[in-house]
Amino acid sequence: MKNIVIIGNSAAGVAAIEGIRSRDRESKITVISDEAYLAYCRCLISNYLSGTVAEKDLTYRDAKFYKDNNVELLLEKKVERVDSKKKRIILEDKSQISYDSLIIATGSSPKIPKELKGVTKRGVFGFRTIKDTKEIITIASISHTSCVLGGGLIGLKAAYGLNKRKLDVKVIVKSGRILSQIADKTASELFLNCFQKNGIEVMLNTDISEIIGNGDLRAVKLDSGKAIGCSLVIVGKGVAPNIKLISETDIKTDKGILVDESMRTSVNDIYAAGDVAETFDLTADKYENNALWPCAVEQGRIAGLNIAGENIKYTGSLGMNSVDFFGLPLVSMGAFDTELEAASSLDREKNLYKKLVLKGSRLIGALLVGDIRNSGLYLRLIKEKADISKIKDDLLDANLSYAKIAELIKKKEEKIYL
Amino acid sequence: MKKLYYDVSKCLACKSCEIACATGKSASKDLFKAVGEEIKPRSCVIVKTTQGKNFPIACRHCKTHPCVDACIAKALTYDENKKRVIHDKDRCIGCWMCVMVCPYGAIRDNKKLKIPIRCDLCADVDEPRCIKACPVGAIMYLEEEEYDKILADKKSSKKSL
Ligand SMILES: Cc1cc2nc3c(=O)[nH]c(=O)nc-3n(C[C@H](O)[C@H](O)[C@H](O)COP(=O)(O)OP(=O)(O)OC[C@H]3O[C@@H](n4cnc5c(N)ncnc54)[C@H](O)[C@@H]3O)c2cc1C
Repeated sequence: MKNIVIIGNSAAGVAAIEGIRSRDRESKITVISDEAYLAYCRCLISNYLSGTVAEKDLTYRDAKFYKDNNVELLLEKKVERVDSKKKRIILEDKSQISYDSLIIATGSSPKIPKELKGVTKRGVFGFRTIKDTKEIITIASISHTSCVLGGGLIGLKAAYGLNKRKLDVKVIVKSGRILSQIADKTASELFLNCFQKNGIEVMLNTDISEIIGNGDLRAVKLDSGKAIGCSLVIVGKGVAPNIKLISETDIKTDKGILVDESMRTSVNDIYAAGDVAETFDLTADKYENNALWPCAVEQGRIAGLNIAGENIKYTGSLGMNSVDFFGLPLVSMGAFDTELEAASSLDREKNLYKKLVLKGSRLIGALLVGDIRNSGLYLRLIKEKADISKIKDDLLDANLSYAKIAELIKKKEEKIYL
Repeated sequence: MKKLYYDVSKCLACKSCEIACATGKSASKDLFKAVGEEIKPRSCVIVKTTQGKNFPIACRHCKTHPCVDACIAKALTYDENKKRVIHDKDRCIGCWMCVMVCPYGAIRDNKKLKIPIRCDLCADVDEPRCIKACPVGAIMYLEEEEYDKILADKKSSKKSL
């Protein structure tokens, strides 16, 4: 019987609870979150913003889950610091909780450029929580024009949501293209087209120099000197892991908290999982902070299982994402934006694009736009580091199948065919 | 719990399973009416041919279900009792995370309906429609132990030949 404390009640924290409870019904589990809500589908706040998903349908785990799993959930409590020497955590209200095992699943927060003049004005938001979204909706209901800073996935999801709310949206992007984390140049052009066609103006190679207003924001000033009147600004300039609370410990960090394949940090009895963790990336062959929902779930579960006495190893993370904007789907995974050998096909008229990146006899990245069939097979070949030389010429074929790749991959207990 | 297994030596890729499946997933559940439906019903099972052999594939309801882990909308859950992945269509937002991670490539996107096409083993009727539809008996609906036994028998009869 252990005393387990989990900081963070989202994808990684919840999966950790499930991991622990699948083996251990006895230990005490305390989960702490500084948010006011039960665990919710964070990725769906843009659907909540657009009005297609109701607030109640954002719930990821309801109150019954915590009761059934005998978890003490402390909401609206912020952990100020971890004291690993005394094996306790100190909350903002100065109360203390001791632990035998600790899981840090504090996720990440939007990067807000502090140096940007006027960034603290009312009406400027990051886009991360239900709370952010509620405030955005309130302003959106009385506002006409809004600006999104940054052309990444989260910024564009916000823009998409505002567009569906019939707001006039302008996306201001410093670089020359959108979605650079999940698309190469060609794919980002297809999506740029798709956004512009659907009435979202994207301004590339443009930066803003100031946010203007008197308390409330009134306009953003571009580096060209021109100003755009607006009453809402959403900053989508990436996220940073929430690691402040461990700054007084010896836990090793890079961008995020470095963990080994058991999800252990460099300090005994402290584990980390999810957006806050930096794990070994399978295709980059180095440590990366892959801040993604499926990674958070897998890492959280492994951390939980290992605390409960298992010895499960994480095979490593992989950048991968799937989105659909205005009916145009995209899936990308691994190293898809490199100079390496690639097989590709493109039909701009039909918005169809497929690219598979090879490194020697291995597939290390895939990017699919329009037709995303079989993407799971590519993921499998990438993850299992399969030798694909035998089927190299058939990789782009829509007729690719499990049966086709079956002899190249590790089939553990997969019973399908006679 | 029972799962679908396929005898590749029998499958002729006649696609009767695909037709029965799509019909079962249509609004009318009638082949001739289904063809005329505004949103064309799609089959969850797909037969693919490789090296001269035909391989049907549909959701395997995996014990490790990566699609459930990847679902950002909690539209997918795993029913431990029934050993099935359950898809709540009302919660689904069509983000295609499940398509991206399916280790069998068995989940596809239905762009019209904005939800994935995934086999639910015909939860609305007693047994999956593809079984009866198969004219050569290539589709089997078995407990895992039954499958193991058939496989073992097949191997030993090969040996004795
Ligand atoms: C709009 C949007 C869209 C997204 N879309 C996708 C997508 O399509 N695909 C995808 O894979 N990912 C997507 N993501 C990313 C995904 O949401 C994250 O990867 C995932 O939420 C990470 O889960 P986590 O448990 O690690 O952390 P988080 O979800 O960030 O949760 C961490 C929790 O810990 C709390 N916390 C932090 N510090 C403290 C503290 N000191 N004390 C107490 N509590 C604390 C936080 O408030 C938060 O509740 C999206 C994110 C957003 C915002």
